[in-house]
Parts: sequence; structure tokens; C-alpha cells
Amino acid sequence: MATVQSDQLLTQFQPNEITPELARKRRSQFRIIFDRFTRNKVAVAGFVVLAVLLVAAVFAPIITGQTSTYDPPNDPNLSIALSGPIPGHPLGTDDLGRDELARMLFGGRVSLAVGILTALLTILIAVTVGSLAGYYGGWVDMVMMRVTDAFLSVPLLVVLFVLARTFSDGSVPSIVILIAAFEWPSVARVVRGEFLGLKEREFLLAARTLGANDLRLMVRHILPNAAGPIIVAATLVVGDAIITESVLSFFSFGVRPPTSSWGSMLNNSRDFISSDPLLLYLPGIAILITVLCFNLMGDGLRDALDPYMTER
Amino acid sequence: MARLLEVKDLKVQFKTREGPVHAVDGVTFHLDAGETLGIVGESGSGKSVTSLSILRLLPMPPAQLVNGTIIYQDKDLADLPESEMRAVRGREIAMIFQDPMTSLNPVLNIESQLIEPLQLHLNMSKNEARQRAIELLEAVGIPDAPRRLRAYPHQFSGGMRQRVMIAIAIAANPKLLIADEPTTALDVTVQAQILELIARLRRDLGTAVILITHDLGVVAGVTDRIIVMYAGKIAEEASTDELFANPRHPYTLGLLASIPHLDEAVTEDLQTIPGSPPDQLHPIAGCPFQPRCPFVLEKCKTYPPYMAVGPNHRAACWVDVTDPAEQERASKRGFIPFRQIRHGFAGESSPAGMSNA
Repeated sequence: MATVQSDQLLTQFQPNEITPELARKRRSQFRIIFDRFTRNKVAVAGFVVLAVLLVAAVFAPIITGQTSTYDPPNDPNLSIALSGPIPGHPLGTDDLGRDELARMLFGGRVSLAVGILTALLTILIAVTVGSLAGYYGGWVDMVMMRVTDAFLSVPLLVVLFVLARTFSDGSVPSIVILIAAFEWPSVARVVRGEFLGLKEREFLLAARTLGANDLRLMVRHILPNAAGPIIVAATLVVGDAIITESVLSFFSFGVRPPTSSWGSMLNNSRDFISSDPLLLYLPGIAILITVLCFNLMGDGLRDALDPYMTER
Repeated sequence: MARLLEVKDLKVQFKTREGPVHAVDGVTFHLDAGETLGIVGESGSGKSVTSLSILRLLPMPPAQLVNGTIIYQDKDLADLPESEMRAVRGREIAMIFQDPMTSLNPVLNIESQLIEPLQLHLNMSKNEARQRAIELLEAVGIPDAPRRLRAYPHQFSGGMRQRVMIAIAIAANPKLLIADEPTTALDVTVQAQILELIARLRRDLGTAVILITHDLGVVAGVTDRIIVMYAGKIAEEASTDELFANPRHPYTLGLLASIPHLDEAVTEDLQTIPGSPPDQLHPIAGCPFQPRCPFVLEKCKTYPPYMAVGPNHRAACWVDVTDPAEQERASKRGFIPFRQIRHGFAGESSPAGMSNA
């Protein structure tokens, strides 16, 4: 492509946009979001607590030195059942003499896994449904949104209890599928709303003039623009899923022994509310803190990812 | 020159609850390879709808192509399958839009947006495409191209973004570039630079250009031929010089008269065309310009034939506006006899224009 000397003339008339100071100040997109997030101290605190919990759960075998709650050196030992904090068992033992710290960490693994996997599955379903409905509109939208409405209008717990008995075998994947099946509709609405707004934007028309097909427009052009709200919704779904799993497990519709989650631990410790209340408080507080932290982090992300938030 | 595009009797309607809106109503024009055609008209005259229907980018419904053929080279774009249409978009015909602030994807960097047409149409490898992207940015006059590739749209000024848009549009070497008000959102000095850029690319690449604008000043300096549209119809068509020197449609006269002149003292109000654009939901019988036209006659109630009034010059009007008797009659209705319009002012006094010399 031949360049005429008008290029040089043109650039001469362009004030140099990038001064060294500006270049130093220039931050990447990720950096801007990161800076905005770190300015929200509460959200950062939530993130740190979650990181600690996750690491503790992931490395539970190393921390406790056992591969499950039944393993040596902490074999169930009925002689120290319901001991309360004693040397070697900082959080005491449960009614079967199992180390409560180990149970909390291994239970956390299940609760967090259910939360995070449910969020991932939920996002997958919700993005598929929401983007198709929002992008194509018309009867596609009509059908998909009525299905969504139907899911949103069922009495959640009753249906979950029934399905947990009939569909679920008490394994983590089955619980994840079950919860995700009822979490996706609200997220799908968020995604649909985003797509509905974004598809009218001019850059989409511009991409279409270049010959991009529908799939490319949806995946490459709209989806990244909707990433913020979707990520935020995902973090909130994690908290929601952990609570739902806890409720299911509390009513013994969730994971089955020997697998335990914080919810099923709550269920087990109901009988000891007066003799050893610590057994009830520990999983309860763990659920509370985890869900709270996910929600705080979600709020922080919402602000950090919102391009219209002004710098504070 | 080879015929590149031939639009015949194009009719586009928008279905609304109150009935069809006649957005484009029987538009016929052609374009040769390498030619620059200006389409001028006010908001709602159908110029953007015309260009969007060439690329078949109108949302259907509500839009509906009621009639007409759009022959591009040998293909009729009006009934090409969508998949083949996608191969035309970007590769054969590209388009740039009015507002560079909104027509770039804010979350993708310039590189991925520049590479898109190369990947879609030319099957280039990542490295080749990157190299080509740098060339393209340099071709549209963006300094420090290799580093700017990584930048995001919000890190560019308006003029720079329009340059990027143009770079993306010409990436796959299209034979026709449709520029829909490419300078409307830019300030005046940048406008001149962008117009100069489009003109230079046309010379270097041999791309035909359709320049859509409501600003006669914009088209004056860069186009070979001009079409004046009013209410979805073509009012007048002539070579640029001929149109400015010898306008034959009362609407064109009104448009030319309403251009303010820097070299005249501001002693009177700016010239306007009285009235407002027609309601295309309820089109009136005959010439749509009747209610605003100082030359209006009884026979304007039937639509005038599109008559040749000179070499390469056609107008849809019953009246010979050059006839002194007609002018005398029209002046009683507020017509101010036509001043000779000096044209070529677009770009002439701008830095970009000077570099032409």
C-alpha cells in the first residue's frame, strides 16, 4: 500500500497523543479492573477469606494428614466422642469420635465444590439459553422465556426434595445438576437482558458488515461485553448453591454418608445442640462466612467490572 | 469503466402498526468501479436505508424489501442466500458508520478487530494477519502502529477511531466502500482529514466509494457524482460540478441556498427550506416536495417523470427552474434567486487538503 507524503503531513498536524507521562499512566484493561476491585476493602477481605477457605479445603489431606474423615491417625474413637477441644483435636470430635477440624475441611470441600461446580454449570446453561433468546428474539425468545418462567414459578424446595429422592443418588455431581437445574433461570434472564441491549449496539452492525455470522457475533462480540454481569451472577450463584445444598443436606436429601458437607454436618449435630453446641456452630458459621464472602466479592466485582463506574 | 453496482427500482418499507412506512420508494442508480458517488439528503430521506439494504443489513422484519434488484457485478444481492451474502460483506462491499465512538467493540483491542475480516475472508495465519494489520494502520495514518495494535478503542480519539474503522473496512480489499456519514460525529479539521484519507485510499486502492451525507460541503470536494434524495426518492442526479453549477430540482436549490458562506457578512438569518420533511407513513400523491416547494404547480399532484435535463443530469421535476419566468413566479412564494455556489470548499482550507497539492 503506497503511502503518500500526506501521511507525514498528517502526523505532523496530530499532536503527539502519547506523552511519556501518559504512557506510564496507561494501564491495561485488567489492571484497571484490578485497581478498582482492590479499592473496595470489604470485597478484598471477602476474597482473602475465600482464598484461605479454598486453600484449606483443597489441601485438607495435607493439613489433617488423612485422606478422609475415617483415616488414621484419627480413626473414629468412640472413647473421645463429643470431647470438645482437646490436644490433637483443636475443634473437638463428633459423636463418633472423628476429628471435627478434619470433618470441617473435608465437608468444606464438598460444600465449596457443589457451590463452584453448580455456578459453572448454571452459567453454561444460562448463557446458552439467555444468549439465544436475547439474540434471536421473536418466538425463540418467547419459548425460552416461558420455560424460564415455568422454572422460576415452581415451589423450589418441595420440587428439590422430591427430585433429590428420585433423581439424585446423593453424589456430588447429581446434587450439582439438581441445583443448577433450578439456578439457571434467573441468570438466563440477566444474560438475555444483556444480549437484548448489546445486539442493538452499532459495533455489532459494524461486525456484521464485515461478514461475521450469528455465532461469531454472539460469542466473540456480545459475550465479552456481557462478561461483567455474568461473572457477578456466577459468584452470587455459588453462595446460593452452597445454601441450597446445605438445606438439602440438612433435611438429609443431599450428600449421603460417608460423604459429608457442612449442611449434613448441621443435620448430624442437631441432637447435640445442648451437649456440644460447637458442632452446630462450626458448620453454620462456615456456611454463613462463605456465602457472605462470595456475595461481598460479587458486589465488588460488579462495581469493578462496570465500565460506567467512575474512578473513586 | 466497468459497472460495479446497479440498483433498480429499490423499494424498502417498514411495517408498523399504522401501516407501511415508505422509507425507500423506487430508487434507481448505478456505480462504476473506482467511482465516488455522493448520496445527499436530510434525515429520513432514505439514504441510510438504501445503503443498508445493499448489504441486506436491515432488520427484517420490520423492514421489507418490497421491490427492486441490486446487481453487484453479476449477482443480485436482493435474493442472494444469507451465507453467500456474508461472503460479500467485508470482502466485496465494506461499510463505515457515522459514530466511531460506538462502532468499535469496546472490549476487544484494535488488533483483534482488524484481524477479523482477514480471518473471515482471506484465511490468513495469525502472523500474516498481524503484519497486515500493522500495514493497514500505517496506511490510514496511525503512528506507532505496532504498539497501537494492543490498544483498546477508548484509548483513541474520535478521528483516530474513524481511521481504525476505515482500516478495518479496507482490510480485505473490498471493491466498494460505503461510508454512511463518516464525518458527522467528528470536528471540522478531523472531518477534512478523514475525507482526504478516503479520497487517497480510493486513488491508491481503486475502491469505489458511496459517500452518504446530509452535508453538501462534504460531498463537494470528493465525489464524482451526486444523488439528491428526498422522501425515499431520488430528486436529482448529476456530476458534482454540474449539480453545483446547474441545479435543476427545487429541493437541491433549497439545499444549496441554505449553505452559509464564510465570506459573507452575517446580516440576515440563515436560509432554510420552510416546512418539515414529509411523513412517509402517509405519503402525499405526486411529488413529495410539493408542500415546501416555491415552484409548485397543479400538475405536481402527479409524480413527475425522471427526466434527463442535461448530459448525465436528471431531475424529477415538472418545472424548469432555470426559466426566469418560473423564478419570477416562485419568488412570490419566498424563492430567493439562486446564487452561484462556489464549491470545492471541503478540505480546501484544511491541512489535509493542502497535502494534496
